[in-house]
Parts: sequence; structure tokens; C-alpha cells
Amino acid sequence: MADHNDPNAVNSIFSDIDVSAADLYDIFGFPVDDRSGVEKVVIALTFAAVPQTGVFDTDMLYRILIAPDRRIARSGGDDTSLAGFLTYLEGVKEKYLKILRPSEVRVTVDHNNRANLRFIGFPGGSFSASIATNEVSSVQSPGGHSINVFVGGRDDAFFNDLPGFFRSINYAPQFYHVPHTMPDVRELKIPKTFLELEGNDLFNYDPQFPQWGHGMKKELPAGPLTWNGNRFKKDQNGNFRFVYSGQDARAGQNCHAIILELPLTFLTATSDEHRIVNTWGESWVLKAAHKVETIPDDPLWIEHPHVLLDALNLDEELKKYKLVDTDGQAFADAALSEREDNRQLGANNFWLAPHFIKRLGHLGWGFGPSITALGLACAFDHDNSPVSVHRTYSSVLEAFPRVSKILFQELNMPDDSWDRKGLAIPLRRAVDVFIPNVNSIDMDTTGTWPFGRRLEDQVATRFLSTFLDMSASLNGKRYHVELLNDPALWNSAPIEPKTPPNPLKNDKEFLADFPYLAEPW
Amino acid sequence: MATAAGYAAEMRRIDEDIAKTEAAAFSDLADPDRITRHVYRLYQKASISGHLAALTAVERAIDDALPLLSNPADLYLLKAHTAFKLHKLADVHAALLAVPSVYDSEEGRLIRADLDFQHGHYQAAESGYVDVLGHERSWGALARLAYLRGKMGDVAGADRLYEEAEDQLTAKEMRAYAWLEVQRGFLDFAHGQHDAARLHYRRADAAYPGYWLIDEHIAELLGAEGRYDEAIVIYQRIAATFGRPDLEQAIGELYDLAGRDRPAVYWKERALSAYLQSVQRGEVHYYHHLVDYYADAAEDGADAVKWASKDLQMRENFATQAALAWAFYRDGRIGDAVHWIDRALASDVVDALLYFRAGEIYSAAGHEIEGRNFRERALNLNPTVAGFHVHH
Repeated sequence: MADHNDPNAVNSIFSDIDVSAADLYDIFGFPVDDRSGVEKVVIALTFAAVPQTGVFDTDMLYRILIAPDRRIARSGGDDTSLAGFLTYLEGVKEKYLKILRPSEVRVTVDHNNRANLRFIGFPGGSFSASIATNEVSSVQSPGGHSINVFVGGRDDAFFNDLPGFFRSINYAPQFYHVPHTMPDVRELKIPKTFLELEGNDLFNYDPQFPQWGHGMKKELPAGPLTWNGNRFKKDQNGNFRFVYSGQDARAGQNCHAIILELPLTFLTATSDEHRIVNTWGESWVLKAAHKVETIPDDPLWIEHPHVLLDALNLDEELKKYKLVDTDGQAFADAALSEREDNRQLGANNFWLAPHFIKRLGHLGWGFGPSITALGLACAFDHDNSPVSVHRTYSSVLEAFPRVSKILFQELNMPDDSWDRKGLAIPLRRAVDVFIPNVNSIDMDTTGTWPFGRRLEDQVATRFLSTFLDMSASLNGKRYHVELLNDPALWNSAPIEPKTPPNPLKNDKEFLADFPYLAEPW
Repeated sequence: MATAAGYAAEMRRIDEDIAKTEAAAFSDLADPDRITRHVYRLYQKASISGHLAALTAVERAIDDALPLLSNPADLYLLKAHTAFKLHKLADVHAALLAVPSVYDSEEGRLIRADLDFQHGHYQAAESGYVDVLGHERSWGALARLAYLRGKMGDVAGADRLYEEAEDQLTAKEMRAYAWLEVQRGFLDFAHGQHDAARLHYRRADAAYPGYWLIDEHIAELLGAEGRYDEAIVIYQRIAATFGRPDLEQAIGELYDLAGRDRPAVYWKERALSAYLQSVQRGEVHYYHHLVDYYADAAEDGADAVKWASKDLQMRENFATQAALAWAFYRDGRIGDAVHWIDRALASDVVDALLYFRAGEIYSAAGHEIEGRNFRERALNLNPTVAGFHVHH
């Protein structure tokens, strides 16, 4: 008789499962600049180029969800209390659970590397199309709308000092070989910071290993993984050491992209009213059980033809897949959701709001003092702490007063160029940007972040600007979302290297026309 | 037309990765990731292929690599897994204790629960699995609980757990999916549901073609159905890849059933020789097969008792207790047989073969009614219990 069983006969103890085809990178969205013809919006979902650039994983299903909406009109007396925040959340929940009925574009790629697109639930009609990958195509909706589509390999449009970001949050796996048996060793209990902490040898730049964190990792040391210092690091000239380098960690790297150029009238029957296009992306991977059903020549497949896509049972299709990743707002995952698998809720991230408040409080205690140390005004009240602090909150009530200014302050723009039509469009606030976790494209703007996301936007640095006090001024001008992207600011700051935190432009020029993202390397 | 990639393709990828990581793994500029990956791939190759002799080499590779890493937690986890496969349960526990993060990790906790099961502490094993599942319903934890629940008689519950485990898996985990289908099939086989078992094995093969584990179970099914020649062909094919004395014994037993004495003797002697060579090398993982061999293939009760006692000393559970009971039965020591079968029955395990042997032992002890009752229970669970089966 069998006396033992051993799933580890087959278990991948150290997950060697390649799920990176499900790793979503970004979702860009902006109104097409050329307004002479039909009003259109561009949505581009990027993800890992696996198994190789231009060749797609046939077990994947990608969704781009689209929910046009009216622009929210805010009264001058917004309630910025906790009660007001909860009311805002209820409104978002109501809208996304009951009112908005997102349409979607589903994309799979078959074994012949052809992309199969399903446009589902659009006012302009539902339809399917099969196109070649890696070339621009144009498809027609039942309503006669012409839609440009590209599914293929591109240069990764994200330009960012990712190691710098991970250094700022003391994220161990970027810098160390963390054993699989230590899944909790992620963000170490060291204050978040823009400036290196004196004695934080676990993460401070090591001149002996300049590539540390840029692909090179050290062995995780034994002993406590903490920091016991009390000041920022300064060099002999009195300059702080920036955790960022300004280098583009994604230079020379490719991605896969699903790029759509959609007429607004295809997305909404009331394009005069629905000036906001909310969009977010999802990646799903086929479940093992249904892989068996889709294997040709398997008699089970023939015996169960219902596994073929049935236009009347689209949810039946999704039941065969497992949701892996979502993407809406840049840095909502990395900074706020902490990359947890169970926090991939996409537009439904209002459930995470309590976590966001506490997380924002935690980030504020870290980033805030380092902002102040540089002589900048900070929106987070850190009691004038001279150094970053590692503090966490177990209670929203406790955290909320500290973060309310960050949440509700209007994010100033550097100039009025974003407001193409000179309409009285309210400036966005962090609370509007991150909850829900969607890219909310305002069709009456240029779509520059936070009114969408254009390819050339340096969103990582703009995200950092949300911690600045937007009521403060520098050289007579109010702080704004582009302030930290200004080399002049850093040139005069007591810091080395004197660079904006992230690169100012992509390693390749974007294209003037569709598909806009540059050719792959 | 696309097909599932399968066993051969995966083994090729593992071989490629082994070659790629070999050169850098033990160089002066040792990269912990590459070292761990290299050793892990060696483990995977041996484990997935079922090559127990290769696992002994993996043990040595792990021991060579341990001093090279300042944080060898992952290697200790591998060491625990390797020792488990080789039935070296004391070494499993030692490996888990070597690094606190290993002992307390989810995988470590699951292995501890597995040890509980092997030592006959079934409640503790169940609690251990349930505790880990409370944190995450991983397929491996679900499968372990399914096995335990199946052994305790909750067949439907076990199958539901296996099905839930399958639902956790993506298309990137077809090997695991196939394994689960084999478990579901074997659950059916152990209850005489041959057609249902066959369907699961076919599905496993569709998911992960070319996997010897599936073929082995299909061969067992064929053998149980009296299709001896077909079963023999499959076993011989598997056994030809590397030494599988357990399958060689199965081939011998099938020839016996087919009434062909000379090849039966040949294959059984090959198996015995391999078992004994393994023991001479200091290995313990064939003890339970030696019990099986001496008790049923050779009907040598004294040697059966000897090996059953050794196996039981390593781990006392319902299986080793029942094996010792059966060995005593073969040796004519019915009183001892009754004692040990009672201990096995006290586990509350619901197993057709256990009941069948209890029936034989009780009848031999003069307890005809109890003997008949046990036989009836056995046949109700599995009408084909007395037929061909393999010790897995």
C-alpha cells in the first residue's frame, strides 16, 4: 500500500515558474494630439517581452478595460476630513461597482503569433478581429469606427532609475540574494528616504560595487537587518548623498505592447458629456485545467466543445484564467500596494483605501524629512524631524491627519499647456489620482500626468512631487508636479549627484504617429 | 498543431540550465544565486526523473555548496527535501533546524507536518497542513491534506482538495497538474474505479506527455486488469532509463501472474540484487520494497520481518506497522501479526489492502468472523484489492 505521497516530487520549491509574461509594466493614455479629424484617445498597455521580443506567450490573456465618465465637478468646499474621504470612497465604490459598465478589449495571441482581439461591450459595437503581430493594423467596428491597433514588441517606454527607487524604500531583493525561505525580507525596517542615511551600509552606494542593485546583488548578511543611526549622510563638502542616480535602468530594454487608437465616439455614445476615459489593464494566465482542454487532439477537447469561445458566455472565458497583475496608475503598485499579489484589485482598489492611508503615512515619515532637509516644503507633517523615521500605523484614524494634506492638496501644473481649451478643469489631487487605480484620461487636456499619461511624462518623479507642499513657492512660483524634474533645482541643492532623480527622457525618441512607442532594440 | 511541451522538453531545459550554471557555480567569484540554482537543478533533475540514486549525488552537491554561502537557507531546504525522498527522516529534521527561517517557513512547516505523518502522528499532520493552508491555499499544501484525508477514508473530500489544488495551477505548471491528476487517478484505482482512474491518467498525459510517472500508473492499471504483457512493456521501458528495482520486481510479479516462471525469476532476482546493493551503500530508501519482496515475491517471512523491523524503526506509521504485521504473518508468527495489524488499524486509516491483510491475519489467528468482516470491508472498498498492485 502506498505509505507516502510527495507533491514535492513535482514541486518547484524555488519558483522557477516563468510568469513574467504576465508582468504588466505601464498603461499610457492620452488624447491624440491631432484634433483636426475624429477625436481619439491612445491607450497603450506594456508588459514583459516574454518569451522574446515580438513573440508572445499563448497562455496569456490581456484585458484593457475602458470606462468613460463625466468629469467630476468639485465644489470649492471639499470635505477633507476622514468623513469626507470615506464619502469619496463610497462614491468611487458606487460608481465602479454599480454605475460604470466598463467595456473591454481582450487580447490573446495564438500559436501562429496572430493577435486575436475582442472588443466587448462598446457603444460603437462589439466585434472580433485577428491581426498580425508586430505591425500596425486598422480594424473597423460594426458602427464604422476605424481603430488603429498594434500588438507587438517595442522599446520600453518607461525611463526610470528603478534601483534608486528601491534604494529609497530599502527593498532587499533588489540588492541582495534573499533566500526563498525568507519571503518577509522585502522592505527592511529602515526609514524610507531620498537621502542616504549615515551608516546605512545595507543600502548606501558602495563605490567598490557601482553596479550593486543594477543587476548585481550581494549576499544577505547575517545579523539584524536594521539601521540605528540618527542622521543623513553628508560628504566632506556637506552634501547629502542622493539615493537616486538619474540613470535609466530600462535603457536598451524592450517590452511588449498593446496599443490602441480609439475614436471617442466608439467608446461612448455621449462624447460631449463623457470627457474622461478611465482605463486600466489586467493580465490573466490560463489555468492548467483549461490548458488541457485547449490542447488540440486531446479527446477531452473534442468531447467538450463548449471550451471554444462562446460569445454569449464571455465570463466563462475568464473563469479559465487566473488574474495575475493589474495596472492603472503609475506607482500605485510599487509605492502604495507594496506589490502584494492579493492587492491586485485594479479599479476596485477602493477596498485598499485604509491600507493606502497607513502606507502613505509610513512613506511620509520616511520621505518627508529628506524633502525638508533639502530645503523644500513638505506636505507631510513630520514634527520637524531632522532625519527620516521608520514608523508604521495600525490605525487609519491615527495616520489620516498626517496624510490629509498630501491626499487633498491640488497638484499644481508647471504651466497651462495641459489645459488645451482653457476650460476650468479642476486640478487633480493625490486622492483622485490613486483611488481608483486607473489611468483617468481627460480628453480636454493634453493627457499629461495626472490628467492621463503621455509617453514623455516622467511620472516617477511626478509621483515623488506629491509629497511636496503645493502651497509653497520657489523663486516666486508655486511648487508643481514638474519641480523635481528641473535640473536647476538639483544643481543648487546640497546633494550629490546633482541630478533629477530619474532620467528626463526616454532612451529612444517616441514616434510622432501611431503606434507612438519606438521600435524595439 | 501545438501540443503540451511535456517531460522530455522540460528535462532538456533542466539539463541546459545545469550546463549553464555549472561553470560559474563553484568558481572563485561564487554567485549565491547560481550556486543555489545549479544545485536546485540537479535536485530537480533527480527528483522529477525519479532517479533515487542520483539524489544521493545531490546530497553530496548540497553539502559541497553549503560552506560557499553565508546565507544557505535555501540549500538547507533542498537538503530536507532530498533527505525526505531518501527516507532519511532524522536528516530531514536536522536540515530544518539548521536555519530558523527554514524551520519556520511555510515549506518548512509543511515538511514538519509530513514528518508527523510518517511518524504516525496523523492529527498533528492534519493540523500542520491546515495551519499552513490558513495562510495560503497553495497547491502543495492542498495535495498533502488531500492525501491524508483520502487515507482516513474521506475519498470525496480528498478528491475535492485535489481539484482545488489543480485550480490553483496555471498553464505554466502542467507537470504539477499532471501529478495531481495521477493522484486523483490513483485514488480511484485504490477503490476499484478503473475507468475513472484511466480518465485521470489520460488527462495527465495530455497535460504533460511523456511522463514516466503517468506510464507507471497506467501499467499498474493494465496489470490489475490482467493485461500483463502490455503492462510489462511499459515497465520495461521505464526501467530501461535507469535502475528501478521496484519496477523490475513488478515485472517479475507480472510474469508470475502470466504463468511465465523463468522471466519472473530473472526480474525478481534483478530487483533483489539492486535492493541489496543499495543497502550495502548505506541507503535506506528500499527497505519497504525489501519487505514487500520477501513477504510476497519470495514468501520468506524471516527476511521480511527483518526488513520490516528496520523500516519501522525509521518511521512508525500505519504502513510500516501493517508491513511488519504481514511479514510476521508470512513468518507464521500469527500472534505478532495480530498485534501489529491492530496497531495499524488503530490509526483509523481506511485502506482496502490494510483490511484485506487484516482479514487474512485474523482468519489465520482463528478469528474467522472478524477475518471475514475485514475481507468484506476490503472488497467493498476495492473489489480488485487482491489483484496486481505496486508498492508506491
